[in-house]
Amino acid sequence: MYDIRINNDLRMHSNMCIRHKFFLGRMAAEEQKIEKLQDEINQLREELQRKERELFDLKFKKYHDNKYCLGLTATDIMRYSRQMLLSQFSITGQIALKKSRVLIVGMGGLGCPCALYLAAAGIGELTIVDYDEVELTNLHRQVLHGENDIGIPKILSAYNRLKNLNSNIKIIPIHTHANSSTLTDLFKNKTFDVVVDGSDNVATRYLLNDICVLNNLPLVSGSALQMEGQLTVYNYNKGPCYRCLFPVPPPPDTVMNCGDGGVLGPVPGIIGTLQALEVIKTCTSCFTVPGIIGTLQALEVIKILTKQGGVLSSRLLTFDACEAVFRNVKLRTRNSRCAVCGDDPTITTLIDYEEFCGASAHDKVIDVDILRKDDHIPVKELSSKPETLLIDVRPTLEFAMCNLDNSYNFPYSYIKKGKDLDKLRKKLEDYSTNGNEVLIICRRGNDSQRAVLQLKEIFTDLPLKFLNVLGGLYAYSNAVDSSFPIY
Amino acid sequence: MPKKILTCYSARELAGCSETFLDVEDSILYADLLEIIVKSYSLEDIKNNVILAVNEEYSNTSERILLKTGDEIAIIPPISGG
Repeated sequence: MYDIRINNDLRMHSNMCIRHKFFLGRMAAEEQKIEKLQDEINQLREELQRKERELFDLKFKKYHDNKYCLGLTATDIMRYSRQMLLSQFSITGQIALKKSRVLIVGMGGLGCPCALYLAAAGIGELTIVDYDEVELTNLHRQVLHGENDIGIPKILSAYNRLKNLNSNIKIIPIHTHANSSTLTDLFKNKTFDVVVDGSDNVATRYLLNDICVLNNLPLVSGSALQMEGQLTVYNYNKGPCYRCLFPVPPPPDTVMNCGDGGVLGPVPGIIGTLQALEVIKTCTSCFTVPGIIGTLQALEVIKILTKQGGVLSSRLLTFDACEAVFRNVKLRTRNSRCAVCGDDPTITTLIDYEEFCGASAHDKVIDVDILRKDDHIPVKELSSKPETLLIDVRPTLEFAMCNLDNSYNFPYSYIKKGKDLDKLRKKLEDYSTNGNEVLIICRRGNDSQRAVLQLKEIFTDLPLKFLNVLGGLYAYSNAVDSSFPIY
Repeated sequence: MPKKILTCYSARELAGCSETFLDVEDSILYADLLEIIVKSYSLEDIKNNVILAVNEEYSNTSERILLKTGDEIAIIPPISGG
């Protein structure tokens, strides 16, 4: 009942969020129609789910009691038979899973496949924590969320999908941002056997490391970015913790924002994801890396819980999707001088991790404001200046995805590194005979501000005024033409 | 003598290469090796955040490292995305 109640609360919350957003925006008839349909669909879905559960219960009712096997129902035996046939796993493993409580922080590219395989494998209790809502850009890798979940909390959409997959396990969705205070409360009220780090930022990684060391829990840590993944289990069997390896957080600007013999579920999951990866790689590039790492995380959790050995502790698995190479790097032993797991720890309670890392505990972009008021131009004024030189400072590949007519691409990274500046100088010199204003635009309006500052310095000798287009192409899409894609 | 240097994906963009060779002493302090590597590949920004692994084994930061021709030194920065 506990989780269902949370579920309903969340649904109300999400509908309120959507309503609130609509009031802020243009409350067009079309949007009212969307909202009405959304409500109807939600009601229908709830009814459908109720009936589906009723049907499942009726069909499998006769298997609920099992006088032939203690500890598991007949449905359990049938359902999990393919993994119980493994000698390393067996009925002991299944009963261990049924008794375990796992916390997954982050329902993104790593948390989704991990939760999917853990729910499928029959973990007793799965607590999922995330603060974020589903966006269209999540769907290519965050496999628990669907098109109809856009705008609702990720843990709600994950809850529905996982419950649909396995109604016999307890799933506890918690809609909150993981920080020292929320996790301290959570650990006061609940007990866990293993924690999975499916987060997307450094601050949360230190937080989860410290809370696991302080509570003596293994931390199955995975991370993925672009074409690379890393996986290891921290604080397990005398192995090192995250701080032993990385005592100092990285400078924020260097962090870039993933039948017969039996088979254990995550294994084909990894292979299947790798196959998908190879197929995708042949045509474009790969974004299934978080899926692979998340699946591997699920595998490590099962190994720990069923005491199988071979846990990826004191080793770091790195996955290079470009080269299709896995490396298994032997790690150091526990650092006796580690601030949290060492012999004389200085961290004995949770700290402020955003302060420690000098970075926010999420991977969203924070807007900068570094220019004077008269260095900006509102995006709506673009159309009144068709002759003015418009420089788009996004990376070349983003420019190729979508761009404004007559804009000239010169990436901010080139300006920063001083690359091809002679080419830009020529362009500006030619232009300066006709005009004196140069408009700088980027994706969100942050790099363009940095570019304006640097261009002013580099080209002081030219009679030009560099202006930042406020809010960048996102603002253009919102205020001028919504058909320009927000990506 | 030349040693093979591998940069993991996230260090590759900074370093501008994925696999290369570097001439370093056969016996070298970790700190000196790290210094040479960050200078050679412009990795100053992440100097304090990388793991150096020689032949797929973590190098202890306080140790003298013994190398021979053909040894593989991987530069592994932490990644935090998910």
